[in-house]
Amino acid sequence: MDAPAVAAPSPPRSGIGPDTRRTGRLLGVLALGLALAIFLVDAFTPLEGAVAVLYVVVVLVSARAFRRNGVILTASGCLLLTAVAYFLSHRFFDSDSALLRALVSLAAIAISALLVLRNQAAARILAEQAELLELTHDPIFVRTPTDTVTFWNRAAEDLYGWRRDEVRGRNVHVLLRTAFPGGEAAIRDALMRNGRWEGELAQTVRSGARVVVESRWSLQRDAGGQPLAVLETNTDITERKRAHAALAESERRYRTIFDTARVAILQQDWREVKAVLDAVPPDAATPLRAHLHAHPEVVRDLRRSVTIVDANAELRRLIGADAGAAAPRSLDALLFEDEPTFIEALLALARGETFFEGETTIRALSGDPVPILFGITFPSHAEGFEGVLVFAVDITERKQAQEALLAVQAELAHTARVTTLGELTASIAHEVNQPLAAIVTNGEAALRWLRRSPPDLGEVSAAVTRVVASGTRAGEIVSRIRTFLAKTPPPRDWLDLREMIGESVLLVEREMVRGGVRLIRDVASDVTLVHGDRVQLQQVLINLMVNAIQAMATVTERPRLLTIRVAPDGAEHVRVTVADSGGGIAAEAVERVFQPFFTTKADGMGMGLAICRSIVEAHGGRLWITGHDDPGAAFHFTIPTTAEREP
Amino acid sequence: MPALPVIAIVDDDEDVRVATGSLVRSLGYTARIYASARDFLESCPVDAPDCVITDVQMPGMTGVEMHRGLLALGSRVPVIFVTAFPTEALRNTVLAAGASDFLGKPCDGATIIRSLEHALMGGSARDATA
Repeated sequence: MDAPAVAAPSPPRSGIGPDTRRTGRLLGVLALGLALAIFLVDAFTPLEGAVAVLYVVVVLVSARAFRRNGVILTASGCLLLTAVAYFLSHRFFDSDSALLRALVSLAAIAISALLVLRNQAAARILAEQAELLELTHDPIFVRTPTDTVTFWNRAAEDLYGWRRDEVRGRNVHVLLRTAFPGGEAAIRDALMRNGRWEGELAQTVRSGARVVVESRWSLQRDAGGQPLAVLETNTDITERKRAHAALAESERRYRTIFDTARVAILQQDWREVKAVLDAVPPDAATPLRAHLHAHPEVVRDLRRSVTIVDANAELRRLIGADAGAAAPRSLDALLFEDEPTFIEALLALARGETFFEGETTIRALSGDPVPILFGITFPSHAEGFEGVLVFAVDITERKQAQEALLAVQAELAHTARVTTLGELTASIAHEVNQPLAAIVTNGEAALRWLRRSPPDLGEVSAAVTRVVASGTRAGEIVSRIRTFLAKTPPPRDWLDLREMIGESVLLVEREMVRGGVRLIRDVASDVTLVHGDRVQLQQVLINLMVNAIQAMATVTERPRLLTIRVAPDGAEHVRVTVADSGGGIAAEAVERVFQPFFTTKADGMGMGLAICRSIVEAHGGRLWITGHDDPGAAFHFTIPTTAEREP
Repeated sequence: MPALPVIAIVDDDEDVRVATGSLVRSLGYTARIYASARDFLESCPVDAPDCVITDVQMPGMTGVEMHRGLLALGSRVPVIFVTAFPTEALRNTVLAAGASDFLGKPCDGATIIRSLEHALMGGSARDATA
């Protein structure tokens, strides 16, 4: 009879090889021959005794030769032969003892046949179980308590590279150079105590490679409780370990980034939001945007539903939460009332976008606003909404720098404006104060000459004459200003346009130098006499030139060119063009620039061009604006060259 | 008899120039008038005045630049600035540069006379008021 399967399973019977089959056939023949010999001796020799008992041997041999049906057939044949031999040699009931012997033989044959059949069935079950061990993917071997291999399955061959005939009888843990973490003795103690042990072992395969196995040991004891064998199942987890290590490394790296990044990172749970948005029918009557704007309470609830799972140190710094303070639990706590980008993020998510970025202001724990740039990465599929990553960068400093820059620019613009105004005021003051100064000084001198002894009446007369002249000059200046203000027709003179332009250029020379502007003068020589008011036309020219200079203040990528061109415009007019290389004027603003109070300047009154146009029109000309070939704007005005001469 | 003090008057405005010249002469000084700062500077080495009354804003060269030119020439002649547009900044600039006085236009004859007399005595208007 075979040994118990667990201790040493026999080779599988189902896979019968040619050798096994030939042995079976020989045994079958032997059994038949033996049965025949016993029958001949039993039936035809006068031997008194239980010869038929020897049929038991035939049954036993047949057990090795045949399967169940063959054994039954053989046993039945033996029973029949026993009975036939009895009738042949003894007839019926001639001897009680012979009959008894025959009956004993029959019983022995039947009992042995039953035992053989039972044993066969048990052996078959064990063989099937052994075959299952053979089929399993886990490397399994059986060893004695002293580590000598008695069974080694195919998966073990595959893993370790040793064939079963190479390892049988060898000390397996010496062969595999097994490393026992925590100590071999402790593991063996645990096995003896509990009958089993589980853990990780490192072993060496035939090629020399180290493998990590998840090892499960089961101890089999004999009837007396003595250790009989150990079944070891070793699952190769080298790859799993490596993958796990890689995962752990990746996790560690992510954690490092998360903890130390200068970017604020939040992990937020958006599952509720996703569920709500998914529930909105795609063909809803109200578009989602309108719906969200109409129902702030829905937005509010969604904001509350987004919980903050995790937040890194940078975020805590950003919102001013020191180590002790509790970080906000929901997005709602971070956002101000009516925060506009949350709705945009909802719409982006509803559109199926996986990334949304924007600029907003969040609320620090103190309630102070913190300007941020942020990005949200939404998962592309339904999973992962419990850990939506949000990145945010503090742009306070950038904002502050931007605001400081704007403030400086505004300050500069203001200074420039004030300076220009101051200089204009200075020139007006100069113009009016000059004759006044002359008058006062001449008057003083006249008094002095008069008080001399004797009075120098010639000097007095000269001084008083100059007083009158200067007074008249001052009166002219004042009257011109009043005339202009009263919109009465201005005095018309024949004016040399070339000279007038020269004077105007002198007046704005400083602005041009400061603005880095180059002047191009293109004045046709034959059209320089026009009919009009010098002061007013100069005002128009200066206004257009100062506007042009200011329009080029922000130009850096091309030369700042101020072009003044004078050319005939028909027979009776001359056209003056003032062009710049600035940003130009938007088409829709072209007519509005001439309206009173239209201005693009922070501290402008918006009166300049309106006044210029009324001056030009009062002169019988036109003032208009065009683009020109190069960047920038061009202002043109016409002035009559032929007008009735004044008396 | 000591020579009459010579006063140079620099102003681009003819009316002012002539009027100031007349006032100076009425006080018994000799007046020399110049239409530009450059004209004056050119004459200076040959014919140094005892005092200068000058405008500030003039085309070509300003009164302030002219003053700087005088100092560069090593001249210690007192300079009185008279401007139609007096600002505190300009006042500080010229007084710091050593000007004798800084007056706004129009100013009355008495003021000019007082300033002129102080300058000729080697003091400055500030010393006088201090």
